[in-house]
Amino acid sequence: MTRGVIKSFGTGDTRAQVLRGVEFDAQAGEMTFLVGPSGCGKTTLISILSAMLTPDGGDVTVFGVEPVKLRGAKLTDFRMRTVGFVFQQFNLMPALDAAENAAVPLIVQGVGAGRARKQAAALLDRLGLGAHLDKYPAQLSAGQQQRVAIARALIHEPRLVVCDEPTASLDATSGRAVMEILKSIAVQKNRAVIVVTHDNRIYSFADRITFMADGRVVRTALPASLQEYEVA
Amino acid sequence: MLGIALKMLFGDPVKLAGLLLGIAFSTLLMAQQGGFFIGLISRSANIVMEAQDVDVWVMDPKTETAEAPTPMRDVELYRVRGVEGVASAAPFVQATATLRTAERRSATAGFLGIDDGTLLGINPRFVVGTPEDLRRPDAIAIDQLGFARLWPGEPLKPGKVLEVNDRRAVVVAITEALPGFAVPVVVYTRLSQALAYAPGGRNRLSFVLVQTAPGADPAEVARRISSQTGLQAHTSRALQRKTIDYVIANTGIAPSFGVVIALGAVVGVLVTGLTFTLFVNDNLRQFAVLKAVGVSGWRILGMVMTQAIVVAFIGYAFGLWGASAFFDAVDRPLSDLKGFWLPWQVAALVAGATVAIVLLASVTAIRRVLALDPAVVFRS
Repeated sequence: MTRGVIKSFGTGDTRAQVLRGVEFDAQAGEMTFLVGPSGCGKTTLISILSAMLTPDGGDVTVFGVEPVKLRGAKLTDFRMRTVGFVFQQFNLMPALDAAENAAVPLIVQGVGAGRARKQAAALLDRLGLGAHLDKYPAQLSAGQQQRVAIARALIHEPRLVVCDEPTASLDATSGRAVMEILKSIAVQKNRAVIVVTHDNRIYSFADRITFMADGRVVRTALPASLQEYEVA
Repeated sequence: MLGIALKMLFGDPVKLAGLLLGIAFSTLLMAQQGGFFIGLISRSANIVMEAQDVDVWVMDPKTETAEAPTPMRDVELYRVRGVEGVASAAPFVQATATLRTAERRSATAGFLGIDDGTLLGINPRFVVGTPEDLRRPDAIAIDQLGFARLWPGEPLKPGKVLEVNDRRAVVVAITEALPGFAVPVVVYTRLSQALAYAPGGRNRLSFVLVQTAPGADPAEVARRISSQTGLQAHTSRALQRKTIDYVIANTGIAPSFGVVIALGAVVGVLVTGLTFTLFVNDNLRQFAVLKAVGVSGWRILGMVMTQAIVVAFIGYAFGLWGASAFFDAVDRPLSDLKGFWLPWQVAALVAGATVAIVLLASVTAIRRVLALDPAVVFRS
């Protein structure tokens, strides 16, 4: 969660304030959508939550840890163990096969390559990719690649999963399939899932939707008001 | 993580080929030119290197190189013989003369006149005949490359007759002697013959070749000869070094080879640097993903350095193989480049240069990786 987070980029005349005192909450066991127009600060906010950017001010707490205060090995350890990522462009490594890609976070943590691959294979099997373990990203469809990316995001059991436009590069069917997987596998009691999206076709998967505009959180819609929003 | 780094490297065969080509070409050029340079300047000392059983070379104080000795008086031979530690001393004459065949072919040759009695200073490697054959009238021993130049296509055999300064010479033996720096053909003959083939002034003695007494230190004997006779005296190794240093200092060979070798290094840095930077640029997003999932900047630096070192090693191996193949191909008995080789010191220096090239070429890439913002992964 964040309290009064501010962040600017640039200097002098080109300085632009992207976040203007963001108050944001995401609950463990829920899938929280972060929506809003381009440039409203969504990506900056999740970059700060995942300890990849440092805010200029305000408080950030992720499962009791203040990532802003972390430096060096503690910071990389926080990213390594606490956060999992799913990206719009998948960002798979083209030289690694599906199982190796999914195993990367475990290898980063020092797990042996063989054991990591075995765990990745098991998870990919749960995601319906058991027959594609040896395939390289270029040999997989966009939907399959995103499922590999989801496996990579979850393999090391992170408590926070950050998804940046996970369906933007997928057709409607693949997009829904990916969201179903995220909803059924990623969301757990002790894990928070934050999804940045423009895709209103998938809003029904959200437990809570936070709307941003001009660097601020302007509204949070709870499940009860979700249908109303969709109609609007 | 290193396994991932290598998979990234080998997963991009086009750039890998570009990197290997740049390093291999650079290595090949540096090693080939380095070996060529060593081979060329070593030729000036071949006359010393080839002489068997000689411990100390004595010469006029003004002599600067073994290939162009200043003549001494014959009496110097006897003065040297009187120095303590000298077991035996023999005269040695070096001269240049033109060989002419009955077929009107000619070649300039270095005539090495060895002591009629002891034959001290002769090259021991005879392909045809023996050193003893030189005791026959008008006898000369020619190197096989010289033979092939004068009688191309003919089998190596004795009995060929030559004319040298209006005198008759008969090839009685053929040696494996290596060519000199100034003269490509090497002829051994008795001292008395050499003086006749290459007439000159009254003082004709080029060197006094010394065999030291058992247990005597050649360097110490050389110092003693110098101090007692006023002549210049060096061990064989010291004279080789002095001769090579003279060639390096007094010819444009070192700078011209140096320029080519430097160009090889510069091309290596440019090609490798450009390709490696492109390679890392293309992989920046992957490195950013790794940073995002908790890989430290130093570990990523280690991955990049691993890629660079592996590329350097393979490229160096290819380049060195090419250079070795070149020297293996040219070091043939009848090749003009006979005696050229790739010394291990050159290979070691080129290895060091290759590592330096790759490190230099990696600087830009490393800077980009270290400055990489992991948040770039969120940009599409």
